[in-house]
Amino acid sequence: MTLEQPLAVRPPRTLAEAAEAHLDDVLGYLLYLTRDRETAEDLASSTFEKALRLWNRFDPGRGSARTWLLGIARTTALDWFRAEARRRKREEAAALPERVEEAFAEGLSPALEAGLAALSAGEREVLALRVVLELDGDATARVLGISPTAVSTRLSRALKRLEERVNQG
Amino acid sequence: MTVNEIVDELRGARPRASDALRLQVMTIAARPAPRTRTFGERVRGRRRLALLVPAGAAVAMAAAVVIGVTRSGSTGPVVAAAPESTARSGATGEALVAPPTAADAATAQKAAPGPLTGRLQRYSAALSLEVEDNDALSDATQQALRIARDLGGYVVSVHYATGDQGSASLTLRVPTANAADAVTRLSGLGTILAQNVQIDDLQESLDTLDRREQQVRARIAALGAAIDRADDAAERARLEEQRAQARAELRALRASQAATAAEARNATVQLDLQTKQDSGGAVPGSGSRLDRALDKALAVLAWEGIVLLAVAIALAPLALAAAAVLATRRTRRRHEEDRLLATP
Repeated sequence: MTLEQPLAVRPPRTLAEAAEAHLDDVLGYLLYLTRDRETAEDLASSTFEKALRLWNRFDPGRGSARTWLLGIARTTALDWFRAEARRRKREEAAALPERVEEAFAEGLSPALEAGLAALSAGEREVLALRVVLELDGDATARVLGISPTAVSTRLSRALKRLEERVNQG
Repeated sequence: MTVNEIVDELRGARPRASDALRLQVMTIAARPAPRTRTFGERVRGRRRLALLVPAGAAVAMAAAVVIGVTRSGSTGPVVAAAPESTARSGATGEALVAPPTAADAATAQKAAPGPLTGRLQRYSAALSLEVEDNDALSDATQQALRIARDLGGYVVSVHYATGDQGSASLTLRVPTANAADAVTRLSGLGTILAQNVQIDDLQESLDTLDRREQQVRARIAALGAAIDRADDAAERARLEEQRAQARAELRALRASQAATAAEARNATVQLDLQTKQDSGGAVPGSGSRLDRALDKALAVLAWEGIVLLAVAIALAPLALAAAAVLATRRTRRRHEEDRLLATP
């Protein structure tokens, strides 16, 4: 008889297992980064397309599947940000299209939603990883490619700014 | 609103994927992965490097051990220079061709001078050789005795000693006709440290003896005729005494001729053997093979280290340049990412 470990403990054997366990995390992260549900869903889909191609390289010894998927999600999002920057540059003569300010996460108060919208993508990113997804400092540092100390500093600054914005009204 | 309240609200409103997205992603994830992992992929990057380093070290060690073991049994190449090598002719005053400071034993062997044919000569040679260790010393001594016997000669004396530095001293006599051959073969028993060949011409002495013999014979014949003619008993007695002296001189001359011929018949070869200074004077059969194997292996390892160091020195500027390029690219990429994520 084989004793099956729960997925939270043992690494996933297939990408399908990893997707089942961590899709919400990947989507949440991308949602906080882009503040656009449609874009986040597109990027989540692209993330798993990439993950399928790279699945052979996944090494559980070097980090969890969640950290690995979030790293791919970040690369995918950065590519999207680059493409957006180029698109905006091309359209800079014309008026920028108004961003549709819709609630990107259900259940947030309007004040918190507004406060998050005022933060930079980098600040929302660290909030998503450390607060919403509750990654520890080391895992967050691996995803962002910075030191754990820099993660703490960035998180503290983001929370302070968010608190100010929320309380400003 | 406090930070704790913000955190609680953010965690409470954790986003969930829609059923449509979940279905889409699960469809993607259910597809087969492009190909199975190869061994190279499993041990890629730093792990592969981490495997290569001990593997390379193991290969280097194995090579050193194999070379050390396989080459420890030989007596070593005979390639060292002969710092002193001279030959001269004594009585004739003619300088014979002597081996120059040879770069190898083969050159010295080819240049070993021989006696001139048709003349009576005294041939003496002194050879000083170095051998690898006490094992080689024993072998070389045995071979020297064999060479002397093979060439029709004999051993006058042998002194053999092992210790911190083993040595052997042999005095050999071989027919002069085979002297050059003997020197050539003996010089192949080790590394030549010094070689000295001396050839003294005895022909002139022998010719002088021959002429003197003719004179004495003629004198004896003349004295015999005078004795026959002598009438006076006293005169006869005086002539007979002179003839007896001449006969004694003739016998001495014949003895000198025989001694000179004997001197020229056999050449004297003095062979001195010694072990290398750093051979440690290991006593034969007491683990010297292991010592040699270890020495060779360490020497090979030292050479491998030198080569590795040279390669590292040669590649260091390239590695530094590559590291600088990588660091610059990384910094640029990070700045670009920060810039991209700086906007709301």
